[in-house]
Amino acid sequence: MKIFKLTLHHIRRSPFQSLVAFITIFTAFFILNSFLLVNRGLSAVLGYFETKPEITIFLKDGLDQATVESVQKQLASYPDIKEIRYISKENALNIYKETNKDNPLLTELVTASVLPASFEVSANNPKVLEVIAQDFSSKNQIVDEIIYQKDVIQSLLNWTLIIRRSGLALIIISSLISFVMIFTLIGMKINNRKEEIKISRLLGASKFYVKRPFILEAVIYGFLGSLTAFLSSFLLMYNFRQMINTFFQPIIFVPKLGYYELFLFLAELFAGVVISFLAGWLGARRYIKW
Amino acid sequence: MEIIFDKVTKNYGPINVFKDLNLKISQGDFVFVTGASGAGKSTLIKLILNQIKPSSGDVLIDDKAVNHLKNKNEIDKIRRKIGVVFQDFQLINDLTIEENIALALDIANYPAAKIPPRINEVVKLVKLQHRHFLFPSQLSGGELQRACLARALSIEPEIILADEPTGNLDPANSWNLIKIFQEINEKFNTTILMTTHNMDFVDSLNKKVIKLDQLEHENI
Repeated sequence: MKIFKLTLHHIRRSPFQSLVAFITIFTAFFILNSFLLVNRGLSAVLGYFETKPEITIFLKDGLDQATVESVQKQLASYPDIKEIRYISKENALNIYKETNKDNPLLTELVTASVLPASFEVSANNPKVLEVIAQDFSSKNQIVDEIIYQKDVIQSLLNWTLIIRRSGLALIIISSLISFVMIFTLIGMKINNRKEEIKISRLLGASKFYVKRPFILEAVIYGFLGSLTAFLSSFLLMYNFRQMINTFFQPIIFVPKLGYYELFLFLAELFAGVVISFLAGWLGARRYIKW
Repeated sequence: MEIIFDKVTKNYGPINVFKDLNLKISQGDFVFVTGASGAGKSTLIKLILNQIKPSSGDVLIDDKAVNHLKNKNEIDKIRRKIGVVFQDFQLINDLTIEENIALALDIANYPAAKIPPRINEVVKLVKLQHRHFLFPSQLSGGELQRACLARALSIEPEIILADEPTGNLDPANSWNLIKIFQEINEKFNTTILMTTHNMDFVDSLNKKVIKLDQLEHENI
């Protein structure tokens, strides 16, 4: 009787135990894959903000044209500047009105004189913006306030870090649960088939021969669990791709299929097989004493 | 395959089963092992299979002291040359008879293509050709014992160890089984070592007998 046939026989003989092993692996890998796909989207969000560094310098009221032009020249003198936009008080009012067009009460009370003029500066290198922020923060007679994207990026970075660390902890815990679950389950199955193992040993089967079906069984759970987990989380994510991407516009949170997905697929299958192989092998080593 | 017990003593705690037992079983022998319960009939078989170790002395199979073999593979190799028939059958209950036989053949590294014809051959030999697709729970005691013999025979063993194979059978089935053992011994020159309580067989067949009750220091 060939090993594969014998392994399938073992699986069929205790279907509920087999189902539990499969569900455990499936859940662990579903969480893992979902996390990796979300993590990829988060990286895209971060990348978007990082590649669009911007600083807004609000000017004090009553500055003459010459002072404004000198500020513009000063800003233009920094290296790696991508764009400098001057927003006059009138433009600021227009932007305010456009933003609040649905709320006439807010727009009626506001005039151009209450809104400050500003410079919006974007750069290719975010470090330049940091230098500008430092230089201009001391110019109290010209500058009213500075809003720097760095704070937004930093906050985003912090959140991303928390999500990534929690995800990592979740992956470790679920991998550990899968490992322990398969290890224990193989132990139970070995105990159920104790007589069969003893008979096989009496017939001259080597220890490896009697261990093989249990190790293969564990590997089957790992393979099928990780495969179905990848496919279901992947299909779920890609089914709602358009909706998710519209929500995060202009950021592409779920990109088109590429080598990354193929790599992820193969890596997860490999991880599933390795975890279950180790659990099965150690379980068989621990429980087969005859 | 030659089996030699060289001054074998076996104790279970304070209970002594044999003391300085010497015996020799040569290829082609048909040997009955008799004795009362607790005389050590099953212990003898377990010692040959290296399931237990002697307290002192050596069990030699083809001049190798199996109780001193360090390499477990060597023991497995020896077991693959021995067919075993148990009183309680020791068939795997959730495998059919042919699957049980196929498992033994697979363990003995029998070529996969030759397994189905070999199964057909042995089930015919033990007259189970119409029952081999059934599970052990679907067979009678006599059929189960023949199935067990078919499994033992399938690997073309050099020796068959039968531990009270007729213990659970009625007289008619017992005689049928004994006849099959005799046939195998004569046809294939397979060594048969059979433990039994049934003195009718021992008295009726003119075979070598090891009486464990009387052994003590007697050499056989």
